[in-house]
Amino acid sequence: MIRPPRLLFLSLVLLAGCGVDRTPAAPATQGAQDWFVERAQDTGLDFVHVNGMSGEFYFPENMSPGVGLLDYDNDGDLDVYLVQGQMLGPVNITGQTLKGRLFRNDLKVREDGTRTLRFTDVTDQAGIDAREYGMGVATGDFDNDGCVDFYLTNFGPNQMFHNLCDGTFADVSRQSGAGDPGFSVSASFVDYDRDGWLDLYVANYLDYSIAKNKPCSRLAGERDYCPPVVYIAQMDRLYRNQRNGTFVDVTARALAGGVVAPALGLATADFNGDGWIDIYVTNDNQENLLWINQRDGTLRNTALLAGVALPASGRAEASMGVDAGDVDNDGDEDLFMTELTGEGHNLFVNDGSGLFEDQSLRSGLGPRSLPYTGFGTAWLDVDNDGRLDILTVNGTISAIEALRRANDPLPYHQRKQLFRNLGDGRFEEITDRAGAAFQASEMGRGAAFGDLDNDGDVDVVVANDAGRTRLLVNQIGNGKHWLGLRLAGTRRDMVGARVSVSRKDGSTIWRRARADGSYASAHDPRVLAGLDDSVEAPDVRVVWPSGRVEEWTAVPGDRYTTLTEGTGRRAANR
Amino acid sequence: MTSVRSRVVVIGLVLAVSACSTPAKPASARRALQPVLLPDVSRVSESVQRQLRDRYTSLTMKRQDPSTRPAELAEAYGEMGTLLMAAEYLDAAEPAFLNAQSLLPDDMRWPYYLAHLYRLRNDTAKSAALFERTLELQPDDVPTLIWLGGVYVDQGQPDKAEPLLQRALSIQPRSAAALFRLGSAALGKKDYAIAVKHLEGTLREDPRASIAHYPLAMAYRGLGDVARANAHIRQRGAVDAALADPLMRDVSGSLDSALSSETEGVKALDKGEWSTAADYFRKGVALAPDNPSVRHRLGTALFMMGDARGALEQFEETVRRSPDFAKARYSLGVLMATSNRPQRAIEELSAAVRYDPKYVEARLRLAELLRRGNRIQESLSEYEQVINLDPAHAEARLGLAVALVGLGRYEEARDRLSESMKAYPDRPVFAHALARLLAAAPDEGVRDGGLALAIVTELRKRGQSAALAESTAMALAASGQYEEAAALQRQLMAAASKAGRADVTARLAADLAAYERRQPSRTPWRADDAVATMLALK
Repeated sequence: MIRPPRLLFLSLVLLAGCGVDRTPAAPATQGAQDWFVERAQDTGLDFVHVNGMSGEFYFPENMSPGVGLLDYDNDGDLDVYLVQGQMLGPVNITGQTLKGRLFRNDLKVREDGTRTLRFTDVTDQAGIDAREYGMGVATGDFDNDGCVDFYLTNFGPNQMFHNLCDGTFADVSRQSGAGDPGFSVSASFVDYDRDGWLDLYVANYLDYSIAKNKPCSRLAGERDYCPPVVYIAQMDRLYRNQRNGTFVDVTARALAGGVVAPALGLATADFNGDGWIDIYVTNDNQENLLWINQRDGTLRNTALLAGVALPASGRAEASMGVDAGDVDNDGDEDLFMTELTGEGHNLFVNDGSGLFEDQSLRSGLGPRSLPYTGFGTAWLDVDNDGRLDILTVNGTISAIEALRRANDPLPYHQRKQLFRNLGDGRFEEITDRAGAAFQASEMGRGAAFGDLDNDGDVDVVVANDAGRTRLLVNQIGNGKHWLGLRLAGTRRDMVGARVSVSRKDGSTIWRRARADGSYASAHDPRVLAGLDDSVEAPDVRVVWPSGRVEEWTAVPGDRYTTLTEGTGRRAANR
Repeated sequence: MTSVRSRVVVIGLVLAVSACSTPAKPASARRALQPVLLPDVSRVSESVQRQLRDRYTSLTMKRQDPSTRPAELAEAYGEMGTLLMAAEYLDAAEPAFLNAQSLLPDDMRWPYYLAHLYRLRNDTAKSAALFERTLELQPDDVPTLIWLGGVYVDQGQPDKAEPLLQRALSIQPRSAAALFRLGSAALGKKDYAIAVKHLEGTLREDPRASIAHYPLAMAYRGLGDVARANAHIRQRGAVDAALADPLMRDVSGSLDSALSSETEGVKALDKGEWSTAADYFRKGVALAPDNPSVRHRLGTALFMMGDARGALEQFEETVRRSPDFAKARYSLGVLMATSNRPQRAIEELSAAVRYDPKYVEARLRLAELLRRGNRIQESLSEYEQVINLDPAHAEARLGLAVALVGLGRYEEARDRLSESMKAYPDRPVFAHALARLLAAAPDEGVRDGGLALAIVTELRKRGQSAALAESTAMALAASGQYEEAAALQRQLMAAASKAGRADVTARLAADLAAYERRQPSRTPWRADDAVATMLALK
């Protein structure tokens, strides 16, 4: 039963290649109370992922795709890059070569504030030719020219696309020296050495190829996907930006003392509060890594003593998607990561020094997620009440018994989950209130979070495996007040910058500009801070990745403001 | 076609089971029975198909026979349920257990199995309710108390878990599984002292329960005892605390499947139960003679039992049937190396890395054998490949440095050791080796007595040893402090003599003679000294 009938799958692949949606559709009726509405197709974000599934249980089939948000044309709204798969195995029976697609956001905002989202496929005119079996996306302006570039992780050689600032990209994979040949899933542009240039961390998975594919089975002998332990893990790679459009692999020196493990997700942030960006990596069924920046070009893995290598149970879990955020508004970065069915997602709360407590059970996030296999995830303040909530997109990697009994050809789909932060360390599941889009059962993998309609709340693009991309438009966030910030250096977004937003009532919330996290996906690098019912313009303090601290007073709310490094009032770090 | 045909058969069987019989007493219970569906088993292994169909046929016959007593029918449903559960058909197993429970409501086995079924389906609320029901029937059943406590811990309800686990401990005071869960519950409440008490207790009662080390480390960290925390982090593992659970053992061992046998065998290996493991693997080999993995594991279990000949036979048979199964090549290589057959060992390890070029352990072992066999240049290439695959591999970095010294490439060795010393501050062997090299390298450009002395001085703050004292003497001599070096060397010789180690005394005498001539040592390490042991030279 777990092995899908081959002919059925081939037909699905052929249909998907022709743009026909065969995935279970979201319920058609969507109520006015829904927190999110699904609007991908009617905004032109029309994309169906093909995973190349042929019944041979090739590893990448159930692990992709990711999705990236980037304002590639600098017109102030987020465009979308969607990762595509390929047929796997010796024969491409579709006769087609599939490619990842770039969709330009042609957002129109009228004077009365109403807005229309519209996406146009500009892949070909942008000169993007991404024909590898895609896994994920990372975004960042690696040459500081003011135009965001992007990096594709692939099952096969990775690709680096340089934004030429004229609406087109050049494939500089070979010239850049960062075309990692392995099986990569997530990546992140991060300025780990504080030289003002974005370096690149690539999370590598397994030493796997179609030729090396091994037959694995469930206990009773039914064919199934192999566990990762069947293959040898690959070392992650850290590439240092040489400031001339090229990167050099500094893994051996910079990541010495680490372990080789099958990496799936990563999040970069200053976890120990020393002003230097650190890197957290989730590994599949092995200990996770916390690379603490040693401020000398090297990083040291401290995950075990820090309490984030393993959950409190001591048993390694499948950790996939991950995000860092200040969930308890105490000024440090906490960690959340998604796990396999039966493991429960994990919340690790930071004490400010880089030591964490496993609060998965107490928060309710662990027990409530037990039936789900989570991938893409992020902290987001759904309702702009000033507290970070959490959303996960789900879908199993092993067939769900009830679905295979019903002869479902893709018996891996699950609905998403949304949890609201109650402010006392606990979370309440509000999936049922989140809207019809949350009832759709799909094979969720990547998820990118950002304000696609620039209305002051966080929307979500969900990349489904062997299915249609979903655009979840937030309907409730801008019912409260908000502060939107673009944190810029001379030319580019300063990912890694931390922001404290202080309100007149004395309360302070911390947010971070980041494009990484989730699963194989890239987010909106802008910062959105929910102000709840507060109408007063808050004071803002920014800790830049360079270590410089600056303040701005009375930054206006309910709009986006660009804060440029060097233009604020210098302040001491505290 | 196959699928449609099998579905027709299933439907027919279901109808037969659920409808074609005259209920025996109690009639109401029989009438309330739910249909039990045999799922489409066409894709499972033949042995499991046979097993499931046979048991289903047996159930059908009993169901159809009006003279079947309720207890007997309950047993048949229960057996069907356990087999379906073992085969991971949880949905199919559920009505079987429900029927058994309906027919024989006072038998604790059925709610117990149902509780596990819901636990495996991640429905913790239902699981807890069924474990509670089991306890109503058998209040002192220790596995039930422990599992139910565990479910409450997983639900984030430690306060509900603790009384159950304490009750289990009052019945079986040495239950490692109960202690472990109590420790987990306390850790969840940040009650670190209590967590330490219970988790230390877990390890005392079941020293193999390596799963307890990491939470124990977190508990010690919570108490501010970082040294103990780190000590337990180093011992962490994934072996569960022992829980004698005969009912669940009946489930896990019931399936005629090679993978199931292998899985159970691996669990037994983890617990050090070599003989049990070998039995499971033998069953697996019988079911799937060409499965290289299970046969290789049988060889491993036999080796652990001390049956080297039996292990060798299994490894060789694995290689005969699957020549490219690199793990068996590796095991053969290790076996040959321990049998003092280095040439054959090198051949097997070479084959392992030929079939799996990224097999780090095999390549490292091959490098070590080549280096010890004085094929140092060849070993260098293997070490470099290991480091290329895993830039953080400490042993390979150490081996590479030692090989470079063996080739007289002292400067490169120094640079490698310096880099590693920084990368692995918790591995003093790098610093120690570097100090020796700086003190005694024949290459004058590499020697740096002052730095060597500074390194050994730092190392001695972290702990004393005879090897470190000898290194200090070497560093003192390299710094021109010959009298101090000689005095220290004499003390070491006296201690060695007192310990009856004439071999050590003789070795130390050679360097003492040099110091007395106001000459430094020119041999960083010898094949028989303690540093050499640390460097795996022997």
